Formats: sequence, C-alpha cells, structure tokens
Amino acid sequence: MDELILELKNRIIEALSLEDLTPEDIDNDAPLFGDGLGLDSIDALELIVILDKHYGIKLGSPTEGREIFKSVASIASYVAAHRSK
Amino acid sequence: MTRIIATNVTSPLGLTTEQNYSVLSAGHASLRGHRQWKGLPLDITASVFSPEQIAGLAAEGFTRFEAMVLHSVRDALSQTSLDITSGRSILVLATTLGNVEELVEGRETYTATGEAAKKIALALGMTTEPLVVCNACISGAQAQLMAERLIRAGVCDHAIVCGADCVTPFTVAGFSCLKVLSPAECRPFDIERLGLNLGEAAATIIFSKEQSPEKECWTLLKGCADNDCHHISTPSPTGDGVLRCIRETLAGFPAEALATVNLHGTGSMFNDQMESKAIESAGLSELPASAIKGIYGHTMGASGLLEAILAMRALDEGKVLPTRGFSEAGVSGRVSLSASMRATDKKSLLKLSSGFGGGNCVLLYTKDAALSEAFGNPGESTKPQTVCLHRVRISPDGIMLDGSALDTTDTGAAMLTEAYKKYVGDFPKFYKMDPFSRLTMLACSLLMGTARSTAQDGDRCGILLFNRSGSILQQRRHIESIKSEEGFYPSPAIFIYTLPNIVMGEIAIKYGFKGETSLYILGRKDEGLMSSVREATIHTSGLQTLITGWVECDREDDFEADFELLTIS
Repeated sequence: MDELILELKNRIIEALSLEDLTPEDIDNDAPLFGDGLGLDSIDALELIVILDKHYGIKLGSPTEGREIFKSVASIASYVAAHRSK
Repeated sequence: MTRIIATNVTSPLGLTTEQNYSVLSAGHASLRGHRQWKGLPLDITASVFSPEQIAGLAAEGFTRFEAMVLHSVRDALSQTSLDITSGRSILVLATTLGNVEELVEGRETYTATGEAAKKIALALGMTTEPLVVCNACISGAQAQLMAERLIRAGVCDHAIVCGADCVTPFTVAGFSCLKVLSPAECRPFDIERLGLNLGEAAATIIFSKEQSPEKECWTLLKGCADNDCHHISTPSPTGDGVLRCIRETLAGFPAEALATVNLHGTGSMFNDQMESKAIESAGLSELPASAIKGIYGHTMGASGLLEAILAMRALDEGKVLPTRGFSEAGVSGRVSLSASMRATDKKSLLKLSSGFGGGNCVLLYTKDAALSEAFGNPGESTKPQTVCLHRVRISPDGIMLDGSALDTTDTGAAMLTEAYKKYVGDFPKFYKMDPFSRLTMLACSLLMGTARSTAQDGDRCGILLFNRSGSILQQRRHIESIKSEEGFYPSPAIFIYTLPNIVMGEIAIKYGFKGETSLYILGRKDEGLMSSVREATIHTSGLQTLITGWVECDREDDFEADFELLTIS
C-alpha cells in the first residue's frame, strides 16, 4: 500500500502541476480539496483521468469521486480494490 | 441607430434563416446520436452537417470552417444592396476555435483565426481589417456588442458579424473530459438534464447605421458584458454576473415591453441553475423565456447570433420559441418556459449568453418603432479622460516595468518562471497554465503589484487584450493527447487553457475584476484597429480601470506582452 500511495502522490504532483511540492509534503490523510492542498473542480476532473489512465477505473462524474478523492489514502484504498490494470 | 438589415443561419437544419425557422417551427431538431464519432472512443449526441451538406458548402481554397462562414455571410449580403468594398464596412468574426479542425487533421490548410478572417474579408472584396472576438461562448453576443460600438463611434457604417464553430474531435474530447456532455439529447432547465450537446453552425447579422427604407427593421438597442469573477469553468451559482448585465442593459427600458428572453440554457447543471436565479432576481420570472440548444446543441461562437436571429424571426410571426427537451423544471429560480410555441404581440427581445472564463453578455433588441426611437439613439456623451498608470513590456530578453528593467538572469520561457517566483509568487495555478496564459498572468500581476494602492470598484475594472495566435501551443498539446485510441486521455487542465480567454477569467478572480473582459484576435498587430476597439470600449462600457494591450506567444521561447494599466474618468 505504501508503494501505491507514493506512486499516487507522484502522479498527482505531476498531473496537477503542484510545483515545489514533494510526496513528503502531502499527508496521506489530509483533505485534498478545500483547506488541504486547495485543489479545485478542474483538479478533480484531472484525478478522474489519472484513475482511468493508470488503473483502468472509470468514474462518470466528479460527484462519484467525492468520497474517493477525500485524501491520498482514500484514493489508494479505492484503487487497490477496483484497479483493472 | 444600429439596425439589422440581413441575417443568415447556416446549420444542419437549413442554409438560410427562413429554412431554419420553418424546419424548427415544424418541431424538428438536428441533434442525432453518433457511436464512436469520427473514430473517437466516445458515443455522443450532437448536431453536425451530413457529408452531403459539407460537400454542398465547400468552397475551393477554403477550409470547412471558412467555407461555412463564407456561405453564411454571402447569403446575408445577398439580401442587401451594400457596397462592402467602400472601406466603411467591417467584418467581425466570432469563434472559439476557428480552423482547429485543420490542426487536428495535421493539414497544411491550417491558418490562425485572424488570418482566416482576413482571407474571408478579402474574398468578400472588403478592404478593411477584420476583427475576431474570441471569448468562449459569449463570442457571438460580444461581437454584436462590439459592432454596435464601432458603428456608434463612427469607425464604420456597416458591420458584418458572423459567428461560427465546427464540431471537431478537439472539442468533443475536451468537453467530454470536462464531463459536461449529455449522452442523450440535452434538456435545458429540465429536472432530468444531464449536460450539453455540441452543435456546428454559422450565423450572420449585418448591422447598419442606415435605415433600410423598404421594411421595418430590428434594432440592437443596447448591450452589456461583464465577468462573474467566480471560476474559470463554472458560473457563479447566484447568477450575479448575468444579473448585473441584465440590470445595466434594461436600465430605463420598460421591462413590460419585452416579449421574451432567450436564455443561454446549455442543459448543464450549473448554467441553467444560475440563469434561473438571475431571471428571478431580475424580476423576469413571468416573462416568456426560451432556450433552443435542445434543437441545435451548443453552437459555441455561433450561438449568440443564431439564437438571437431565430428568436427575432419567431417574434416576426408573433411567437416565442419553444424550449425543446424541457418538461419539468429542475432549477430553483422561477422561469417561464414551455416546450411549445407561445403567442405574443410584443416586439422586444432580451438575449443572454454566458461562458467559460466567467464572461456574460446581454443584448436588447426591438422592432417597436417608438422604443427604437426612444432608446436606439443614446445622446452624445463626453469622451472619457484616460491616464496610463503603469506599463509593462515582456519579451524573451527581459521585462521592463514603467521604463525600468527588472532583475532577471534567465532568458526565454525560464525567465517567465524566474520572474513569477521573484516578483509575484502568490498564485500556484501559474504552474498549471500554458505559456500564453503564464505570460498574460505575469504581465497583469506585475502591473497590479505596482498599483496595489489604487482604490478600485471591481464592477468597473476590465481587461481588453489583442493577440494573433491565441493558445496555439496548448492547442497542439491537447491534440497530442487525443491522437490515438490507446492513448486517448484528454486532460481537462490542458483543454481548458486551449481557450485563450480563460486566463482573463483567472485574472478577474485574482484581482476582483467584475467588469467586461474581452480578447480580440487580429491577423497582425494593427495599431489603428486596436486603438478604435479600445476607444469604442472605453467610451461605452463605463469601465474605470482597464488592463489593455498586445500579447502573443506562438513559440515557447518567442513571446511578447505589452500591457498598460489605465484609469478612466
């Protein structure tokens, strides 16, 4: 799981152009939206692309992703349970 | 007075305004389901021309987009006796992505939008430089507002305003990854709406200062554009941006004389909801309203023209357009909608448009002679005084702010990042942006940083930029991401910045600019035309603070921004 978490953090940093951030700066359980990393709705759509592209998980809308995208840890457990690649 | 002397709608439903009106009044629509459209791994519902229609519109030496524009403009011109070669006419083109289809196909026929407009103007025999309005979905409406201003300012006597966009793999992939496309026919304002459909069309209105003597005409009385300053791809949920435009446009006008309001009504969750709030807050809940994207889909740059033309055509018959796809209201603001045609004896139309980048534009038309006389001739206002507070110039060699060079060591694109870190540093979204947007954001941030102490009224702060190549670098990046079915992962963050007006939305949000924001594309850096557009805007928009200038970035290492921060009193 730790490996997956690190991989996700790196993919998020790259896809969302989070300049000057390293995986160590992102707390596994901290909220990604709102106060935490301050991501917005376009970033949520970008997370949907990450899940599709790297793990074969298709989400129809950001609403479906709301619970999943709470934190890096919650994304990791969803990916581990549902990945098809 | 700015009169409408001819119109055309070129769509999959017909090639003239009359054909379109007669087919849509018979209840037909051009939306169809397409499986794996053009080989994309997507099933869509859209309004697109058939191969036979495309062949019929084709013109030797012109791209599909250009041929569509030519057909639309030529049909409108054929209804008039205008001599457009006289130098007193201007072509104003409204488009979000112009010739992008050629870029997707990798064809050598690709020309940037400004050059395409020039090519079309020359083919029509026009001698004046054309202007392209590129402000996402409000382009078609804002182009009319600009035409009205240019005529009023005496820059020209006639304006041929044409809006057009093609449905292409570029837009389909982009809107699909933004999750705003409805798989089924869209249902504006309905409780079961699932999003929008894309549509392709060209639509033209010819405006003239002269009264056409033979028949009574529609007049464009007034308009207003602003920015809702909320989010680059989601409108303000209260609809306050549209509401301000409605109030400004209707100020002094007897609202009871309105026959109808034609809404933007995309069928998306957010747009329709916020428009309903704006209509209710404006006290227009009882006014018959319509939205016709359930017939044509969202025709992008054409929509502000196409929808206004058909709403006026219906009023000529004493009818209000139907809202196809609407059955039960699914919005919290009260709006009077109907899936059927309704009768009216009034002759004034309010048209609303909203778009990505936060732009809103509202236009008011009338065919009532008395109202036209009373409101179509605004008195002479004194020319505002303009003072340049600060000026910034950025090139790959360095940055000059108010005549002094900023201390930078890098050159080219790296210099932009270096300057951002050193002198701005408060906007992490900078790193998500494409080179064009970074350049524009950096220039504006330096101006505003210098002017931090200036007192401001956000409603009166605006942006007016000129440009040649739009977001061409970002458009190529988006195309790379949709080239193969295996590698088909369009990115929302990349797609959104392929629209060059988006950065103005970011600047508006960052600095609280709620006034008009506009981006014009020219074939070349034509100081005369830039000055006319700027003067006409300053004279009529009520802006008190304006960031304006030229910005161009067609290569990562070759760019230019030359902006001024003006105060107007």
